[in-house]
Amino acid sequence: MAEQAIVQIKNLSKTIGKKKIIKNLSLDLHKGEITGFLGPNGAGKTTTIRMMVGLMRPTEGEVWIDGQSVQADFEGSIQKVGVIVENPEMYKYMSGYKNLLHFSRMHKGISKERIDEVVKQVGMQNRINEKVASYSLGMRQRLGLAQALLHDPKFLILDEPTNGLDPAGIREFRIYLQKIAKENGVAIFVSSHLLSEIELLCDRIAIIQNGELIDIKNVNDLQKSRYYIQAEPLELAGEVLTGIGFPAVLHDKGYLIDSGAEHIPGAINLLVGAGVRIFAVQPYRETLESQFLEMTGGGEIAQTHTK
Amino acid sequence: MTWIMAALLVVVVFAGIGITKWMNSTATENANENWRDIAQAEIANSMVMLEEPDLSEPQADYYEGRIAIAEHRLANDIPSFEYASMQQQVIDTHMMMSLVTLLAVIMAGGIVASEFSQGTIKMLLTRPVKRWKILTSKYITVLLFAVVLTVILLISTALAGLLFFGISDGTLLVWNGSEVSETSFWLEALKLAALKFSSVWMISTFAFMLSTVFRSSSLAIGLSIFLMFTGIQAVFLLQNYEIVKYYLFTHTDLTQFFTGNFMISDITIQMSIVVLAVYFLVFMAISYWTFGRRDITA
Repeated sequence: MAEQAIVQIKNLSKTIGKKKIIKNLSLDLHKGEITGFLGPNGAGKTTTIRMMVGLMRPTEGEVWIDGQSVQADFEGSIQKVGVIVENPEMYKYMSGYKNLLHFSRMHKGISKERIDEVVKQVGMQNRINEKVASYSLGMRQRLGLAQALLHDPKFLILDEPTNGLDPAGIREFRIYLQKIAKENGVAIFVSSHLLSEIELLCDRIAIIQNGELIDIKNVNDLQKSRYYIQAEPLELAGEVLTGIGFPAVLHDKGYLIDSGAEHIPGAINLLVGAGVRIFAVQPYRETLESQFLEMTGGGEIAQTHTK
Repeated sequence: MTWIMAALLVVVVFAGIGITKWMNSTATENANENWRDIAQAEIANSMVMLEEPDLSEPQADYYEGRIAIAEHRLANDIPSFEYASMQQQVIDTHMMMSLVTLLAVIMAGGIVASEFSQGTIKMLLTRPVKRWKILTSKYITVLLFAVVLTVILLISTALAGLLFFGISDGTLLVWNGSEVSETSFWLEALKLAALKFSSVWMISTFAFMLSTVFRSSSLAIGLSIFLMFTGIQAVFLLQNYEIVKYYLFTHTDLTQFFTGNFMISDITIQMSIVVLAVYFLVFMAISYWTFGRRDITA
């Protein structure tokens, strides 16, 4: 990720009344990268997103999109951004197509062909001429994605995009987003409560709690190779493993070691040679959910699932 | 929605003129007085008015004009329009303009607030268009709507007048302060409608401001219509105080300087225009300021 960041959030703060809702948040988003934005309810995800797209005015700090400040040059910066903030609300008394036409007029140079193309991409061509009032939530989400993609943005911000989509729709949506990120080099910023969804979709995850960014992780790091070895006696096993250069972490009835699969047989040989009895050796994967709960102190996530 | 409003306007105009026709036909003969008698009465009446001690200058000018026109008619044998004629109905269209105000207020009160209540405001404000431009486009829409309604009102009045009354062979005379001249009734009707438009404009701007500030169309429409009806009454309550000269509704109707129905005695059209301009600027400043700065949480 050595590339120049498309989006730079610099020391963003928001105070409403006396309460500081967002505290000095800084984050860079890169071309072709999908970043997940996670946090419990009330952590400030939506407020952050609203400030990024100019719906709210930051108390301090700035958001830069492709070299232009959203606060100083709204029109110049926002034309590169496609947005869905929470549920995409459309004009219900107009057809999906008319809605797209209406929004397209507020951008420069969107042809009718481009509208048709986007409609096809989101799979709405059969019902695009029906009134939005007759659409299901999933179809409104698709239409919302279509309006965000109309002007071929360099940066896409999606707040809860899979809300209301069925499993097939979610999968299709994920594949589509990954495709435009890879092929068109679009930077994508997705907030969601669906942890497993974020894990599948994103390259990187930013975690926010109480208005502060507490961690940024690459999904690959989360999936680094770890093994769990259940052995007895524990002390001896620990000594052997540390002795051969694996920082062993005590876990349950054994140890967790960070290592590739190729080193495991050798380590087992050594352990057996030292007289350690081995009961189990298995690859160990911590889920995003357990990490998330660990980082945010848990508890609150129970509510976010039901939202 | 807008089509329904326009259709409603046409229906009301036809019904109104139809009722006038029916009342005329059931009334006694003096509905069709001779134009000479009317002119005589006009002179006598205006003479009496000119005797009034506390007559202001614009009022005196007005009555002098009436006398000059009536005398010119009698001297040169030029009949006026009968009341029951298409031309007179068209000239009097400005009296029906409160209908336009009503419909324009409904539009103005909803146009910003409904974006908030539908939640579409966030879709609108995340386009590469500055907020003041969006607000301006909405404001222009309101004004255009009001103008189109006014035109529809004039045309449908003419059609209804033609249908129910027919054309009179009178001539319209005007007084420019020094001499009497002929003029077209369309021109006069347009002039009066344009003057009355000041009232439509101010009240819709007020409704637009409420819509922008409070984001509630029912509040904006309700309060504006309430003020539209009670605001003018308040002029009479306030007429003994100095403040009445700076009160919006003393000035909203600019036709008062041409039809003689002055709200209070010592105001001039220039003064009214200045007062209206100040109110207009305040309403606009409040609308743009709140819309431009508001954090959108809808």
